[in-house]
Amino acid sequence: MNKMAIALVDRLSTPIAVITETGLIEYRNTAFQQAFGDDASHWLKDASRALAGERGWLQGFFVDAEEEHKTLDVEIEGRVYRVDRIMMIAREESRAAALSFDDVTAQREMEQAKSDFTSMVVHDLRGPLSGIQGTLEFVLSQEGTRLDAMYTDLLNEAQRESERMMGLINELLDFSKIESGNFVVEKEPVRVAGVLKRAVRSLQTVAARDEIFLVSAHGRDVPMIIGSVEKLTQAVINLVSNSLKFTPKKGMISVGAQVVRNGDVPEAIVVTVTDSGMGIKADELAQIWEKYKQSGNKSLRGGGGTGLGLYIVKQIVEAHGGEISVASIEGVGTSMVLRLPVKRTATASGGWTAIQDR
Amino acid sequence: MSSLPSPKAPPSPDWSRLVGDSLRQNGVWHTFLKLMEAAKAYPNDLSLRGYIEIVRNAIVRDFVAHPKGMQAVPKLSAEFLTNFDRFNLNAQEGYLVSLIDGRFDLQKLLILSPFDTFTTLFTLAKLTYERAITVPQ
Repeated sequence: MNKMAIALVDRLSTPIAVITETGLIEYRNTAFQQAFGDDASHWLKDASRALAGERGWLQGFFVDAEEEHKTLDVEIEGRVYRVDRIMMIAREESRAAALSFDDVTAQREMEQAKSDFTSMVVHDLRGPLSGIQGTLEFVLSQEGTRLDAMYTDLLNEAQRESERMMGLINELLDFSKIESGNFVVEKEPVRVAGVLKRAVRSLQTVAARDEIFLVSAHGRDVPMIIGSVEKLTQAVINLVSNSLKFTPKKGMISVGAQVVRNGDVPEAIVVTVTDSGMGIKADELAQIWEKYKQSGNKSLRGGGGTGLGLYIVKQIVEAHGGEISVASIEGVGTSMVLRLPVKRTATASGGWTAIQDR
Repeated sequence: MSSLPSPKAPPSPDWSRLVGDSLRQNGVWHTFLKLMEAAKAYPNDLSLRGYIEIVRNAIVRDFVAHPKGMQAVPKLSAEFLTNFDRFNLNAQEGYLVSLIDGRFDLQKLLILSPFDTFTTLFTLAKLTYERAITVPQ
């Protein structure tokens, strides 16, 4: 580095160092020296070590050397640093990387506190809300009770709103789990056809009330996948609920599953939730999976959401090793497409077998 | 040892604009058939599957928008009865055609059909488009 560049880097408040693959420090700026002192060589020795097939975090920066940027969150002596590779220095005898160290401990603690608080609030809200829902359901299910039509309407409205509130609370709970890294997907055989049927059945009443034709469309040869029934059902329910918000009366929502084969071998299941709603503007399509993103189109059923529904769907699909896409034509409709891989197991004869849904 | 780079799929066209234009200019069936051809060229394009579903959805919605709704009674067309060989029906279409007796309405056909609701309605819409059956107003 020339003198001017060194002087410039030295004045930066972010700790920066040039470190070799073996953990030797070739250069460190003043901020690095102030943050880590002479102890750095001690933890760098561990970070550069490869033990029992496991690499120290420093090695991670040299594995994908061709990647332009690489960032890792690492724990150094009780604090969390976001280490960013600024540049690779490749020489004949050895390689080195220029790394910056950003202390994100306080940020992490704040995120954890926020996540813990959300979790606590959400749990505390769910209890009483379940009680309200149970009471409303009980009152409305009492045959022979003569309720004035006006009161019945009001109770139905209260029930609908309590369902909506429960949906929002559940979304917040999932979001808090995702953000805190506690979003776990169980691994069990899942009948995808069953998941679709359950999702359609649970929203059939809402669709009928809004005069929307909600149908499932899947063949009989849909194989099983490995994943979580609960999470996949939630993903499909989120998508259908979203479609219900933007589909006008007399519209149609179809929930389908198709098997993608490579020859005779089932490779994946493609689940589609398609509506005849107002569609999504082309410039909004790429962002719909981001958190807190709401469509520019106004919901036809009133009541906004958290903007987390589709973000949660994406997290669920990715946790299953799948991918997600969207197609939309303004004024014609929208289709959400999920691709879920089919788990295959090797047979004794060297062939394969997919878990069949019988 | 160096390896050859895997062949890259061609970049996906702007399906939203293409499909929207085609629907306006050529209608749902022409667009659907074109999309089925495109699916062969872009087998891994997930969004293309979505556009196919949007068009299929529009076809079924138009079909059930019949003035008599699910009480509409499909009948075999005169052309089908006199020129059966012209229609190259697949097993699914053949089975549904066998159920059409001029008395069962769509509601009953959905109950009798071994296929799911959407597939049954889409197949009946296709048979109508191909003039194998008619659904009198």
